[in-house]
Amino acid sequence: MKSSQLSESRYLLPENITKKDFLDNFGQSFTVKAAKASNEKFTIVDSFEWGIYQAGMLAIRHQDNSIRLYKENSLLDSDASLDIGKINARSRFWWDFPDSPAREILKKILDLRALYPVFNGLLKIENYNLEDQDGKILVMCQLVSIASPEKPRTPLMRQVKLVPVTGYKLENQQAIDLLAQLGAFKPSLKPLDSLLGALGVSPQPYTVKPKLRLSPDAPARSSISIIIAIMIEKQRLTEQGVIKDIDTEFLHHFRVATRMIRAAIVQLKEVFPAPDVTMLKDRFGAIGRETNRLRDLDVFILDKHRYMGLLPASLRDGLLPMFDDFEQARSQEVKRIAQWLSSKAYRLEIEELQALFQQGYSAIETEWSEKPTIELAVNKIQHRYRKIQKAAAKITHDTPDDDIHSIRIDCKKLRYLLYFFDGLFNKKQVKVAGNHLKALQDRLGIFNDLSVQGEFLENYLNEEEHKAGKDILLIASLGGLISSLNTMHIQERENCIRELAIFSNEENRQLFKDTFVIQS
Amino acid sequence: MKIIASYSIKGGVGKTATSVNLAYAAAKAGNETLLIDLDPQGASSFYFRIGHSKKEKSGYFFGKKNRLLKHIKGSNYKNLDILPANLSFRNFDIMLSNMSKSKRRLKEMLALLRDEYDLIILDCPPSINLLAENVFYAADMILVPVIPTTLSELTFEQLLTFFDKNGYKKKKIRPFFSMAQSKNKLHHETIRDLDKRYSVFMKSIIGFSAEIERMGLHREPVLAYSTKKGAAQSYRTLFNEIVKTLSSKKF
Repeated sequence: MKSSQLSESRYLLPENITKKDFLDNFGQSFTVKAAKASNEKFTIVDSFEWGIYQAGMLAIRHQDNSIRLYKENSLLDSDASLDIGKINARSRFWWDFPDSPAREILKKILDLRALYPVFNGLLKIENYNLEDQDGKILVMCQLVSIASPEKPRTPLMRQVKLVPVTGYKLENQQAIDLLAQLGAFKPSLKPLDSLLGALGVSPQPYTVKPKLRLSPDAPARSSISIIIAIMIEKQRLTEQGVIKDIDTEFLHHFRVATRMIRAAIVQLKEVFPAPDVTMLKDRFGAIGRETNRLRDLDVFILDKHRYMGLLPASLRDGLLPMFDDFEQARSQEVKRIAQWLSSKAYRLEIEELQALFQQGYSAIETEWSEKPTIELAVNKIQHRYRKIQKAAAKITHDTPDDDIHSIRIDCKKLRYLLYFFDGLFNKKQVKVAGNHLKALQDRLGIFNDLSVQGEFLENYLNEEEHKAGKDILLIASLGGLISSLNTMHIQERENCIRELAIFSNEENRQLFKDTFVIQS
Repeated sequence: MKIIASYSIKGGVGKTATSVNLAYAAAKAGNETLLIDLDPQGASSFYFRIGHSKKEKSGYFFGKKNRLLKHIKGSNYKNLDILPANLSFRNFDIMLSNMSKSKRRLKEMLALLRDEYDLIILDCPPSINLLAENVFYAADMILVPVIPTTLSELTFEQLLTFFDKNGYKKKKIRPFFSMAQSKNKLHHETIRDLDKRYSVFMKSIIGFSAEIERMGLHREPVLAYSTKKGAAQSYRTLFNEIVKTLSSKKF
């Protein structure tokens, strides 16, 4: 029947109950017949951000190297799972998987993230049919046990699922009552949390954007210390992912965190003594610079297919030697960065910096260090918005590209200020203001990327042109690509000018004025 | 939703074996399937290990949907449910004759199950009466097992005559040869002869087989316990031919 009137029920079995107890107990009212059983090593995989968990799903890499996706209400039920199929043991990105509905789901969840193991264990699934004397199945029962590989005999959890059969409501209730006699209980958490909880896995979704609850009246320097301490922590959480080269997002977030730390130091410099600002800026700057080249290469390689698409088919293959070069350079760079991040020198440096902020930065008082945080926030945000707005008002079709780029940098600074201080203002209004800023930043970002990429390729072309035995096809492809990017760059300029006009219009001016105020 | 009846005026021709195995094959192929055991003897129910209902009631049968659903039992197989028979089903004819629209009741009742099932298989008792007429009216296809003997031939012809006289759609009728013995000369001749005279015979033939006879011991469809043997194969072939026929425009 398509609309089953009875629903499955799940219980957890207390530790002291043996399997014999469990089976004998059902034996009081039913003939218990063992059906399909499986026993295998398995791995729960998710992204660093716990994207699959956050979408209410569980992904398991099974022993046969297939990955299956389970929804919250049918965990470990292979009939109701989405199968990605057998894949290479090293496949970890959505684009490594064969076409399937599961791949589409993962594409949305993972984006650039890799799947990586969060729990390894042993999974035993035993099915039992509770029958009458004629061998008619009255209730189906499944016992799922999960154990750690170190202690295979002591399961971390045992879950019993009763699946009713149409037309046998009384018998299903009888089975439920028998389980209750054993002390089996319904999990209090949702299935996914109850499963992960039993395994001792606690998902800690990661976002690089800090969730801050600053107190408006707290001294500015202590608030900024909190911000920097949190950002250093976020930076450090990505270190292992960069070292193991799990995916490119680790480095990206490492850099975002470092940049935000520098932004806090430079933009809010008034809370620190001037010599300290220089010292801190340099030290964090040095950390950021180490990663520049790898990030450039990552961005290019991730965009490979887009670049190829910009060229006529005959020229596409011409670019392949360039991407081979980039891939090679990337693996060297990954090694170098992994060594650097694992080095004692880096560890000592970052730990020292971390220690400076953990208990609040201690230094002589400055003009702003003891003023209320909210005053600093309002002052800085208003100042930055006015600066953007004034510059935007002057933009014409003849404005040099560099001026547009410097507005982009100011927008980024404003964005960071909002990250730091958004909790101090009206939530709804901040969101609207933030969305306007985002729309502008997206446009400016594309514009900037196009010029950075154009420049990067021109430099590459210069090197190639002067090589002995140059590759003519590559040079032709590069020429085509550079000119494509240039055309797009010119078009994108118009989009930026339009978006800037919106951002600096009267309505937005008022919005920023009203939102970022000292509330009484 | 499609409705297939396994029907013959004659008893002992393999109706129940056909119903049980086709229902199993359909469910296995992913169709949400209901087998309705209309025969008060309850042989289909027996093969699925479902006993007679202790209460001898049949009022629910032509009543409200919810009451009907309560009598449906899940089988031991995925996607396959059974509406078991009970002895009171022998009174269907009296019940129906007291109802208005007495020939359309079954069709109306089955229409209630449209959202629940993809396929309904009716295992019919061997008689030609008001219940049978309900079946003729309700079914999309009437599968008629025919043992290739003279007597079976006669009853098949009786059925055709009955359809003609009473205005039922004859194209619903799909006979197939059942319990055919490969070493029996008469069987061979009858098959050849009937095939020539009636183009509607299904190509699949279910041969006589000890495997099928043993269903009573196993209390399972042949397809469940001897998946690779000839008998199981021939039911699978028959099911595939039925699917093809049901989806063809000519049918």
